[in-house]
Amino acid sequence: MPSISRRTLLAASGAAAISQTPLRAARAADKPRVTVITQWSAGSDGEAITALGKKFTEAGGIWQHNPVPGFTTDMMNKLRAQILSGDPPAVSQLKGPEIAAWSKIAPTVNLDADVKAAGYDKVVAPELIKLHAPYGHWISLPLQVYRINSIWISKKAADKVGVTALPKTWAEYNAIGEKMAKAGIQPVANGGTKWDNGMIWEIALCGISPAAYRKAVMELDAAALKGPEVLAAFEQTRKMSLWMSPNTASQHYSTFIPKFMKGDAGMLLMGGWVQGVYKKAGYQYSDYMTGPSPQDNGKPAFDLNADAFIFWKRKEPDFTAGQHLLAKLVMEKSTQQMYSGITGSLPVRTDMDLSDPTFSDAQREASASLKAAVEDHQSVLSLAHNMAQPNQITAAMIDSLVEFVTDHTITPKKGQERLVEAVDNVR
Amino acid sequence: MRSTRALLYIVVTLLAALYLMPLAVVALNSLRSTRDIFGNGMIGLPHGLEFDNFSQAWSGLCIAEHCTGIRGYMLNSMIMTIPATLISTFFGALLGYAISLWRFRGDLWVFGIITLGVFLPEQMKLVPWVLVLRDLGLYNSVAGLVLIHVVQGLSFTTLFCRNYYVGIPQELMKAAKIDGAGFFRIFWRIVLPLSPPILIVTIIWQFTGIWNEYLYGVTFASGPNQPVTAALIALAVSVSEAPQYGVQSAAVLIAAAPTLFVYLVGGKYFMRGLTAGAVK
Amino acid sequence: MRLARRSPAELLPLLAIWLPVLVSIFYVVGFTLYTIWIAFTPSTLMPENGWVGLRNYTAILHTRNWNIAAANIVVYGFCFMALTTFLGLLLAVLLDQKLRGENVLRTIFLYPLAVSFVVTGVVWGWLLNPGIGIQKLVVGLGWTDFRFDWLVDRDRALYCIVFAGAWQASGFAMALFLAGLRSVDADLMKAAQIDGAGPMRIYRGVVLPTIWPIFIAVFVILLQFAIKTFDLAVALTAGGPGISTVLPSMVVYDFMFQRGLLGRGSAAAVLQLSMLLAVLLPYAAFRYWQTRRAARNA
Repeated sequence: MPSISRRTLLAASGAAAISQTPLRAARAADKPRVTVITQWSAGSDGEAITALGKKFTEAGGIWQHNPVPGFTTDMMNKLRAQILSGDPPAVSQLKGPEIAAWSKIAPTVNLDADVKAAGYDKVVAPELIKLHAPYGHWISLPLQVYRINSIWISKKAADKVGVTALPKTWAEYNAIGEKMAKAGIQPVANGGTKWDNGMIWEIALCGISPAAYRKAVMELDAAALKGPEVLAAFEQTRKMSLWMSPNTASQHYSTFIPKFMKGDAGMLLMGGWVQGVYKKAGYQYSDYMTGPSPQDNGKPAFDLNADAFIFWKRKEPDFTAGQHLLAKLVMEKSTQQMYSGITGSLPVRTDMDLSDPTFSDAQREASASLKAAVEDHQSVLSLAHNMAQPNQITAAMIDSLVEFVTDHTITPKKGQERLVEAVDNVR
Repeated sequence: MRSTRALLYIVVTLLAALYLMPLAVVALNSLRSTRDIFGNGMIGLPHGLEFDNFSQAWSGLCIAEHCTGIRGYMLNSMIMTIPATLISTFFGALLGYAISLWRFRGDLWVFGIITLGVFLPEQMKLVPWVLVLRDLGLYNSVAGLVLIHVVQGLSFTTLFCRNYYVGIPQELMKAAKIDGAGFFRIFWRIVLPLSPPILIVTIIWQFTGIWNEYLYGVTFASGPNQPVTAALIALAVSVSEAPQYGVQSAAVLIAAAPTLFVYLVGGKYFMRGLTAGAVK
Repeated sequence: MRLARRSPAELLPLLAIWLPVLVSIFYVVGFTLYTIWIAFTPSTLMPENGWVGLRNYTAILHTRNWNIAAANIVVYGFCFMALTTFLGLLLAVLLDQKLRGENVLRTIFLYPLAVSFVVTGVVWGWLLNPGIGIQKLVVGLGWTDFRFDWLVDRDRALYCIVFAGAWQASGFAMALFLAGLRSVDADLMKAAQIDGAGPMRIYRGVVLPTIWPIFIAVFVILLQFAIKTFDLAVALTAGGPGISTVLPSMVVYDFMFQRGLLGRGSAAAVLQLSMLLAVLLPYAAFRYWQTRRAARNA
């Protein structure tokens, strides 16, 4: 089905010949080597991957990272160009169902033996196994996990309205929201980017019923999409959209940090990375309260976001050796501790001890909730962060959600209809 | 008369202030710390001057695992932009002259097709360029990027020059041809000396366009060989993290410096009267 | 052949003309045909061979994004071109008055092109955002009922892109006009002045006819600016509120690369180009008729 034609193969060999610069040819052929493409080039993401590279080098490998700065789309353009010119990287960043989609256009490496040797399949959330071993074989490895369904409440805003505990249900959340609105505080502190808008709906649905989320968003089950839980999520989203600043425009949520910290905006629904951002902006752990976002059925749920590496097949033996070495390292506890320690994410492994001071209480709580959610079958995959559906379906769904959030004339019922329609069009 | 002059200056100053507004925001932010920006908002006066932002941006910042700032990326952009600008401007002038003054069979068709090239959207050309560069063996090289920008720029430079040269009287050409001057002789001796205003326009266009181009720069160059726009994006875009606006603003100002320099220096070629000594 | 009988001195100009011409034609025609071809294939993440007929076109024409974008580009294109031409001409005429500090002023009006478009889009996003930008500033100065909230208004956000676009491109229009004005024969100007013609009449009677071809260059440049507006709009509104300000270039990029539907994205690109031809072809026909008429009258 894909057009890996004779022409492509010819070009591939040509490109390989060209890329054999004297420098590379002169290198010891046996030393394990990887070429890596990611979008992580700056900030703590950049720091973390650099540390991983260092670890790889210390283990005797040659690390050639080629970051593609910018949006994920830019990284995918680069990857596409490399594959088209017959020179795929040994390893590249890719996430969610795109792993399955891209694995059809170029051959990948079978990592089953590596995973088995590390006993990794027993300590990874089952949702992640499906994504990273899409056709029964491991071809990619998750690197770090974030919980999307986290809530962050401004301490100053909470003090003003006398709130001392996080809302456990959406009813409690709404009660706090009413109080804040009455006190002249903007109850919802989210920004206006597309993924942010879509994520609010996603967190609402996950908080109402993870089972309905699984059916509607992950399985695109028509009945569930038209069901009462999804409608309730739309109703909750409408409530929150009216509580958002009318001036969010397409601003990143971080634009509104000053407002949040001053207590002029109250509650932010956002993944665990927020902690690092607050820290960088000079705020303390005591400036806000954080924990899981409201969950109506009382049991912990976990809306998963995971970054991952996909391993592309290369003939060169040094690449093959490098790929297996990197796979081994990525699955190790010490690597995961180091990586998550830098980015503020959670380790992929559910059997880690997080008492080390590199981790914060928020990370410990979230990590424990991942384990509990996996046991209770309440772990789901994030829509807005491209974990639940391939990009074309995600984009269509997010478009209809964004329209709903920003256009207050659309009723929840109508919003639900439009979502169903959008899904039907791309199914 | 004096009051009209005064009014003129007032209008120009107001317009200039309006145009400078975004630059003012960037310039102010380049002196603010991340803490200041996230404590007091995106627009505002600096609380304490953070000159460190500039040295950070220039030589300290970690981009793509190398903590050497945008210094190296500036050089990459230069190596790509200067040849591409000069080559495309030269051929644009040559073609513009050939089409408007020298004339040849089918020249208007050629002009029409070349002009259509300015309309092709970047997004549409990305995949074809991958295939072309791959087949030429220029993928992941500066030469490949220069080729892209020369070919794409030719459409613009030809358009500008042709429409400028159309204003040159045909009599000049006829006289020169009667004197026995050839294609290149007329170009060097008559056309080029008349061209400074339009050449500076095409150079401005090409230089800024190529300097600021991002999509190709990121796709067709790798790691430390990428142009400066890639480094700027690296600072601006991150989903999980808040952008480092202070350092980024400083980087933006540094990155804009060469272009501004071209504008200022090119300015003198705009003077009227350069065109023909005979007029004065 | 005829070529062979020519001397090297004659061949060199031919080579100098036709080499770049052929490369250009390959680029324009080749790339366009390639895109038209891909639009007929089932290509998703990678270009593929195959035939799906018009299916990509029907799919794209049935998305809300495309329909909104197609309507937006008409409004945006017209407003952007009108405003930018007006500003460019105004600035050029003002600068042509032998002002002191012309060099600096020209640079000020040109600099928007020098700064990375993504960044200027972000900064305009702040300035035009009522919560953090101009409105907040003016309200803070005591003008409490001042409102400038077009950016968050579904029906008006598009005009914010027009402003930012005009701000960015008008300097270049100015430079082109200025180059034209500076090529106007000073003797003609003087003669008109001696005849007692006012400044308006001089501009209409002497200057405008001379710089008419420059108008066409400006028009073409602005048209391509309009149709290609991407970085700035993405950074400024990202298509929002909702998807109310999406433009065709965004839809093309979105489908081709974000959604990984190369075939559909190519179909959108072809539609985008045909919208452009709908503007250009009547103009070309008009010009053809004009030259024919001029030739007849001559």
